[in-house]
Amino acid sequence: MSAPDPAAHPVADFKPDLLQSAEHELCPGCGHPVAWRLVLEALTDLGLSHRTVLVAGHGCYTQMMKLSDLDSLQCLHGRAPAVATGVKRMLPQTAVVTLQGDGDMVSEGLHEVLHAGARGERVTALLFNNGVFGDTGGHLTATTVLGQRTKTSLEGRDPEVHGYPIDVARLLAQLDGTAYVARGAVNSPGLVARTGRMIRRALELQMAGAGFTFVEVLTMCPTGWFVGTAEGPDYLEESMMATFGIGELKAPGQ
Amino acid sequence: MLFTGVGGQGVQIAARTLATAAMDEGRHVMLVPRYGGGMRGGMTNAEVTVGDRPLRALPVATDCWSAYAMDPSYWSTVRPHLRPGAVVVVNASLVDVEVGVEGATVFSVEAGAIADGLGAPMAAGFVLLGAYASLTGLVGVETLVGAMRQLVPPYRTQHLEANERALRAGAAAVTPLAAPAWAAGDLERAGR
Amino acid sequence: MTRRLLQGSEAVAEAAIASGCRFFSGYPMLPFTELLESMAKKLPAAGGVCISAESEIEAVNMALGAAATGARAATGSCGQGLALMQEAIAESALNELPLVVFNMARGQQDYFQATRGGGWGDYRTITLAPKDVPEAVAHTQLLFDLADRHRTPALLYGDYVIAHTSVGIEVAPLAFPPLPEKDWALDGTMSGTGRARQIWTWARGKPNTPGPGPNLAWQAIADKYAEIERTEARCEAEGTDDAEVVVVSFGTTAVFVDRVVEELRAEGVRIGSFRPVTLWPFPGAALAEATEGCRLVLVYELNAGQMVDDVRIHAADRSAVRSIGGVSQDASGMRQGDLLAADELRQRVRRALADGPAARSAR
Repeated sequence: MSAPDPAAHPVADFKPDLLQSAEHELCPGCGHPVAWRLVLEALTDLGLSHRTVLVAGHGCYTQMMKLSDLDSLQCLHGRAPAVATGVKRMLPQTAVVTLQGDGDMVSEGLHEVLHAGARGERVTALLFNNGVFGDTGGHLTATTVLGQRTKTSLEGRDPEVHGYPIDVARLLAQLDGTAYVARGAVNSPGLVARTGRMIRRALELQMAGAGFTFVEVLTMCPTGWFVGTAEGPDYLEESMMATFGIGELKAPGQ
Repeated sequence: MLFTGVGGQGVQIAARTLATAAMDEGRHVMLVPRYGGGMRGGMTNAEVTVGDRPLRALPVATDCWSAYAMDPSYWSTVRPHLRPGAVVVVNASLVDVEVGVEGATVFSVEAGAIADGLGAPMAAGFVLLGAYASLTGLVGVETLVGAMRQLVPPYRTQHLEANERALRAGAAAVTPLAAPAWAAGDLERAGR
Repeated sequence: MTRRLLQGSEAVAEAAIASGCRFFSGYPMLPFTELLESMAKKLPAAGGVCISAESEIEAVNMALGAAATGARAATGSCGQGLALMQEAIAESALNELPLVVFNMARGQQDYFQATRGGGWGDYRTITLAPKDVPEAVAHTQLLFDLADRHRTPALLYGDYVIAHTSVGIEVAPLAFPPLPEKDWALDGTMSGTGRARQIWTWARGKPNTPGPGPNLAWQAIADKYAEIERTEARCEAEGTDDAEVVVVSFGTTAVFVDRVVEELRAEGVRIGSFRPVTLWPFPGAALAEATEGCRLVLVYELNAGQMVDDVRIHAADRSAVRSIGGVSQDASGMRQGDLLAADELRQRVRRALADGPAARSAR
């Protein structure tokens, strides 16, 4: 019998510590697990494993909350930044992270996130943006890009009928209370690494008391986009990245 | 008849296609879906009741005559509601559980493999549906194809040809009328 | 402690702080505004946080978040603002979070909103309706205790009169029996231990600590409310033992009813008064007893008839029940109108007595 290949590890070895189980029911090609891994790794690396509270909205990503070994509160659609405000004001030394999709944050909860940003609440708000309400079957949200077909924009988003998508990161960057605003994506290894650094920076700045920190992650939703699983990453680049752009919109010392 | 599978296998559209075909053939029909949130991987069941006179069936069916199973994950939600001797049509490519229904007649169809062979893996649900229709004669295969064409949504029309091939391949993979739906004694019970 | 002249809103704020409230959020809206102002002034000095939220929806959700950490948290508004908070109040109930909500209501006696709510699911709120400022001070403290004791939202039904009236009062802290530890509260420290905590209305739990799921969780919550209904009803009855006629009212209105009933008793009328102190749980059994043998049960509430439904359900003889109140709003739209007056009430009671049991109810 030959010696085991030292380079080969069972996949289970790569499960992040802060995940109780890696068994999820998300679609093949979904970007959420990739993005969420970055968050869990950042929390662990920064020594926040035992000092974090997660406030999660409603969407496919709610499963991430369920599977994670984090003190968690599932809140009403759109309200996570308000709920997180109450949590952080009572637990100022704890890392408070909110997890929302674009439907939750930019459609239902635009009010809450802008005000939390303006108030400079010391929380880290995460937006997993796939430009569609995935959980309910593929409907228009405030970030759905022009031309995108959904069940509520069957011929594609038309500005005459459906108006234009909102770039919430750009709005937040204009508010004095926001300390860090960045947008990444998880459709390529390079961007995954870069997004991981953004998330880490946001959490560091939260714990330093700098103000409201925000990371938007463009993620794949081939099911909601009605494209094949393998086409998700390219489609993300052509549709969402082309509309929204990647980078740090606001950072200390910029 | 009770349909079960996991999200993404086309269970809902299969049930709706069958119900539509039955209506197109002049029957009385009721279709009751059951699914939660989330687009993939969760439970997706449906109940279709077909009769040749107005129905008094309840929207929670018990004591059912047949089942269509694309996946074993939620078979336990269907099994208790089947009568002894039920006709069970399963996707052999995935279903590996004990059917567990007394006296059931089980037909195993390699729906996944057949669909792969056609180059249309997403159409496995229609393969199984074609097989079901042929085995039971509940509806004709031509009506089924016609119903499928009516129902496929505008963002899936690229799959119409593949779906039709799948329905016909499923029908061809089994012995026609091996478990007829419209036999004399079953007629009344199937209609209630 | 000495008595000081305090406005109702100030007194309630001090009572909340004396109860250990350390988080308050609200949106200015008369006649709740003064309570928000008082908390903004007093709460930080007591080591708490008061946020003037940008909307009522945010205010209640902030308070929910604070309550989830185990802190004593509160919010409030008037009925119109509470209408916006209904979903979050229901959510608090189904999450079993203790959340105190102050309704400093306008003219309308919104009994339905205070007892049925506009949220979703089988939830209730323990609702106390004080009749004056001293009672509001006691009720405020009782609400924080009941909310923690039963892990439920709890509502104070105040109003314009209570919010604005000033009286000489001492805000004395009340003593309560010991409470269990809040082992469900989130503080981040169970993260990374394999047994992280979770607050979720669907109660699914996490892989290491599976939950009962929504069906069992909500059945258990419904059972809990049934138990609260058996044990926490409160009321006040005066002169009902030998009464032929009982007048039923709640809140500020009851002070007027007490006065008029006292006068009529002095004239020899066999009349009594009954006041639910908890609007929910409604003191139905006590009402049945108090109205035993009455030929008339007169309900005086300032609305088109809301509490009268519950009175009819529980009164010893439902055919004896009459509504003698009505919609009453003053010109400003903020306060009760002309029906909040002893003369008006006295006339209506006398007319009801004169018309007798054959008379048909206004509603």
